Amino acid sequence: MHDHESTDTPRTLQTRRAFLRTSLLGAAAAWTLPAFIDKTFLTLNAMAADSAIQVATGKDSPILVVLQLAGGNDGLNTLVPFADDAYRKARPLLGIPADRVLKLNDSLGLHPALAPLKALYDKGRVGIIQGVGYPNPNRSHFRSTEIWQTASDAKENRGYGWLGSYFDNCCAGADPTVGVAIGGIAPQAFAAKQPTGINFARPEQFRWINYDKAKGRMGASEYFFRELNQPGEIAADLASMLGGGDAAGEAGGSVQAIGGAPAPGGSAFDFLERTALDAQVSSDKVLAIARRTKPLVAYPPGRLSESLSLVGRMIAGGLPTRVYYVSLGGFDTHQNQTPAHERLMGELGGALGAFAADLEAQGNFDRVMLITFSEFGRRVAQNASGGTDHGAAAPMFVMGGHVKAGLHGKAPSLTQLFQGDLMHSTDFRSVYASVLEQWLHVPSETVLGRKFSPLALI
Amino acid sequence: MLNPLPPDRWDRAKAAHLLNRAGFGGPPGQVDALHKLGLASAVRSLVEGPAQMEPAIPPAWAKPQDLAARREMVQDMAALTANQNERQQIQRDFGKKMRREEIGQVRDLGIWWLERMRTTRDPLLEKLTLFWHGHFATSVQKVRNAYWMWLQNDTFRRNARGHFGALVKAVSRDPAMIIWLDLRESRPSHPNENFARELMELFTLGEGHYTEKDVTESARAFTGYRLNPREQTFRWAAFEHDKGEKEVLGGRGNFDGDAVIDLILAKPECARFITKKIWEFFVAENPEPKLLDTLTETFRLCDYEMRPLLMRIFASEEFYAANAVGTQIKSPIHWLVSTARTFETDYPSPFVLYFAMRQLGQIVFNPPSVKGWDGGKAWISTSTLLARYNLAGLFVETQTGPLLEGIQRAVRDLGFDAMDAEPPSVHMPDAGPANVAKFVSAEMRADPARLVDGLARRIFAVPAPGRERQAFLDFLATKPMPIDDATVRSLLHLMMSTPRFQLC
Repeated sequence: MHDHESTDTPRTLQTRRAFLRTSLLGAAAAWTLPAFIDKTFLTLNAMAADSAIQVATGKDSPILVVLQLAGGNDGLNTLVPFADDAYRKARPLLGIPADRVLKLNDSLGLHPALAPLKALYDKGRVGIIQGVGYPNPNRSHFRSTEIWQTASDAKENRGYGWLGSYFDNCCAGADPTVGVAIGGIAPQAFAAKQPTGINFARPEQFRWINYDKAKGRMGASEYFFRELNQPGEIAADLASMLGGGDAAGEAGGSVQAIGGAPAPGGSAFDFLERTALDAQVSSDKVLAIARRTKPLVAYPPGRLSESLSLVGRMIAGGLPTRVYYVSLGGFDTHQNQTPAHERLMGELGGALGAFAADLEAQGNFDRVMLITFSEFGRRVAQNASGGTDHGAAAPMFVMGGHVKAGLHGKAPSLTQLFQGDLMHSTDFRSVYASVLEQWLHVPSETVLGRKFSPLALI
Repeated sequence: MLNPLPPDRWDRAKAAHLLNRAGFGGPPGQVDALHKLGLASAVRSLVEGPAQMEPAIPPAWAKPQDLAARREMVQDMAALTANQNERQQIQRDFGKKMRREEIGQVRDLGIWWLERMRTTRDPLLEKLTLFWHGHFATSVQKVRNAYWMWLQNDTFRRNARGHFGALVKAVSRDPAMIIWLDLRESRPSHPNENFARELMELFTLGEGHYTEKDVTESARAFTGYRLNPREQTFRWAAFEHDKGEKEVLGGRGNFDGDAVIDLILAKPECARFITKKIWEFFVAENPEPKLLDTLTETFRLCDYEMRPLLMRIFASEEFYAANAVGTQIKSPIHWLVSTARTFETDYPSPFVLYFAMRQLGQIVFNPPSVKGWDGGKAWISTSTLLARYNLAGLFVETQTGPLLEGIQRAVRDLGFDAMDAEPPSVHMPDAGPANVAKFVSAEMRADPARLVDGLARRIFAVPAPGRERQAFLDFLATKPMPIDDATVRSLLHLMMSTPRFQLC
C-alpha cells in the first residue's frame, strides 16, 4: 500500500487535495468556511421582520444548561423540611436527621452531600424553586419525562420539545451547535420541526468513524469523505477562487463567493449536502475545541462531572451554543435508597460546585444559567424496601452568576396531599417561561404555545 | 394525469425505483427480475403480492393473556399476608416484573418487524403496514402491552391493501387504539372526544372539513367500545352505547361508530386527504392540485379500494418523473431495511438495531405523537446524518471498534429504559459485516472503474454522477491493486457516507 501523498498520483488529484487541505482541513480557520454564512444573511433579514428571531453571537450571549435528574429525584431528601413532624413520621427510616441537614433556614435544609451547592447558595449563586410540578401528575417515568420535555399538559401529546420549539421559533438560521446534548441520543426536549442541535457522549465520537487508517495521518477515506460531503457549488467556487491566486480565500473572500442563498424549500439533495457540510464543520469545531481546551479546575470523579466539564470546555472554546443539555441517571430509588441517594447527591453537588468554579475561572459564570429538573419527585412516605416510590412535585435548582438566589415559590404541605403525593405550587412551565423571557430574552408564549406567569428568577 | 408510463420507457432504473418505493429496495438480482417482468406485470406482482399471504409467525409471547387473572393472582398472593408493607412489596415486585416483560417484548416486537421487512417476499405489504402505522400512529408508551401492539400491527397488515373503510372500522375496534385515544373511557354521560376528533382531523378528513359539533356528536356514536381483559379482545358493550339521535356531517340518525365512518367516507375530502398522504409517502411531497383531483376521483371510483389506486400510482408517468426518482429521503426504517437487503446481509445485531432506531429518530411502535412522524427533511439533522454515516460502517466495514463501544455505552446510559428488560428473545445472529466477496468478482477487483460502477449499480441502481464517481476512483487510486476486501469495504462505507445514499 502506498501513501496517497506519493508522486505517482494523478495531477488533478493533487490539485484537488491541495485546495481541500488549505480550505477545509487546514488550520483552525477550517470552520470559518461556513455553511451557515448564507443562513446568517437570511437570519439578519428575518430579524428585521420578527424580533423573536435571535442569532447566537458566540462570545457574549447567554447560555442555558439544562440538567436532567433521570429516574425521579427524591425532592424531600434533597430540600429537606427537617423541622416538619410529618416528614419524620412519613420517613422513620429514610428521614435525614435535623443535625445532619445543611440548614437554609429554621425549617428547610439541603441534603448533607450537597455542601458545594450550599456554599454557592450562601454566595447568592443558587435559587431553589419549591414544589414544582403540573396538574394531574403522571407517575410513569417515560410519560412524565415526556411531559417535562415537551412542556405539555398531562393529557396532551406533543411531539416537539420545548427547547426544539425555542430553536424553531427563535434561532432560525443558527449554527447547528445552537443546542448541544451530551449523550448518545438527542433528548426529546430538542425534537423540532426543523431539527437542529447536536449530541455526542464524547467529542471524539462526534465525527465520521471509519477504519481506513494510514499510519499517523488521515486515511484516504477521510479525505474523500470530506470531498464528497460538501456542496458542489462551494467546491467549485473555492477552486476558482484558489485558482485565481487568492491565497486568503478561506477567510473573508469566501463569504461573497458562497453568498447565493438557496431557494427556500430547496431539493432534498441540496438540503442533505448542506447538512453534511454542517455536520463536518460542527464536528471539526467540537474536536478542535476538545483538543485545545481543558478544565480550569479539577472536577471530582463521576459521569456528571465528565459531562459538565465537557460543557465547560465547549463554553471556554467559544462554541456558539445557547442550550446545553446534560443528564444524570439513577434516581429511581425504590429500594435501599439512603446510600444510593447519598452518592447521587454527592455527585450532583460535587459536579455543580466544580462547574461553577470552572466557569468563574473562565470569567463565564455570568453568562450561564443552569436549571435542574426531574420527571417527578417521590412519595412522601417511605416504602417497605427502604426506598420511595414515584411521586409528584419536587424542587428545581437554578444556578448562575445572575440568578436571584434563595427560595422561590411555596413549600408544599406534607399533610395536605393528593393521593399520597405533594401538591405542586409552581407549574414547571412557569419556570420555563421565566428562563425564556428573563434569560434567553424571547417571548415565552411563542415557544410554549401558551402564557404561563413567570417567577422572578433573575 | 396519471397516464401509464409508455412501455418503451420502462428500464432497469425504473424497476429499481419501483422496488424502492413499493418496498425496501433489494439486491441487483431482484431489480433485474422485476425489470424483466415489464411494467404492468411488475406493478401487479407487487400490488397483488404472492398468491398466498405470507404466514406472519408472531413472536412466541404474542398471544392473549388473561390480564384480569394475573391481577387477581397477585391480589390473592398479597392477601396471604396481613402486613401492609409486605403486601405493597408483592404488588411492587409484580409491577416491576410486568414492566421488564413489557419493555423486552416491545423491543423484540420492533426487531421482529424489521426482520420481517428484511426477509419478506411481499415488500409492499410491509411498506403499507408501516404507512398505516404512521397514519394511525399509536404508541406503546400509553398502551403498555406488547400483545396489543402486535395485534394492531396484524390488523394493519390484514387490511393494508384492502378497503380503506374496512380498515378504519377495524382500527376503531382495535384494543391498542381504544386505549391510545381513550375510547374505553367514553360513556353516554361523558363521551370522550379524543378518538372522534383524531378520526376526523388526522385519520380521514383533515382540518377544516368538519365542525366541533361533528366531533361531539360522533363521540356519542363511538360509545360502548370496550375491552375484554380476559381474552385481550374488543368488547361491544351495548348498554354503554348512546343509542340516541345524532347529527353528523349533515346527516341525522341513530348512528353508531360504523355509520359515522360511512358518512365520513361519503365526503370527497376524505378521499383527497388519504390519497394525498399516500402520494406523499410513496412518491413525492406537495402534489399539484390537478394531480390530487385525479387521485381523489380514482379512489372514489374504485370505492376506496387500495389495490386499484396503488396499481394506478405505480404505473403512472408521474411516479417515474424526474421530481420523484431519487428525491425521497429514506426514513430510518427504510434506511436500515434497504441497507440490509441491498447487501444481502443480516442486521448488525438486535442490540445495534434497536439503538439505531432511537438514534436515527424512528422507533416502530413508538411514534412521537398521534400525528406520527414528520418525515422528509425532518429525518435529517447534523447528528442523525452523522449517525447514518457511522452506522453504515457497521453494515459494511467492521462490527468492532470505537463505534460499537460508543453504542454500548449509550445503551447503558439509557438506564431504566432499555437495559432493565429481559435479553432479546428474537433470534438473530451477530452476523458480522456484509460478505463483500459474494458480490465482487475478480474482474472488478482488477479494474477500479468496473468496481465503482458495479457497486454503484447495486447501491444507487445507476452509475454515480461525475463528481462522486471521480472521487471514488481517486480513492481507489490511493490503494494497491488488485483491490482487496478491506478496500472494497472502505469504498462501500464511503459510498454510503454521502448525501446521495440517504435518498431513494
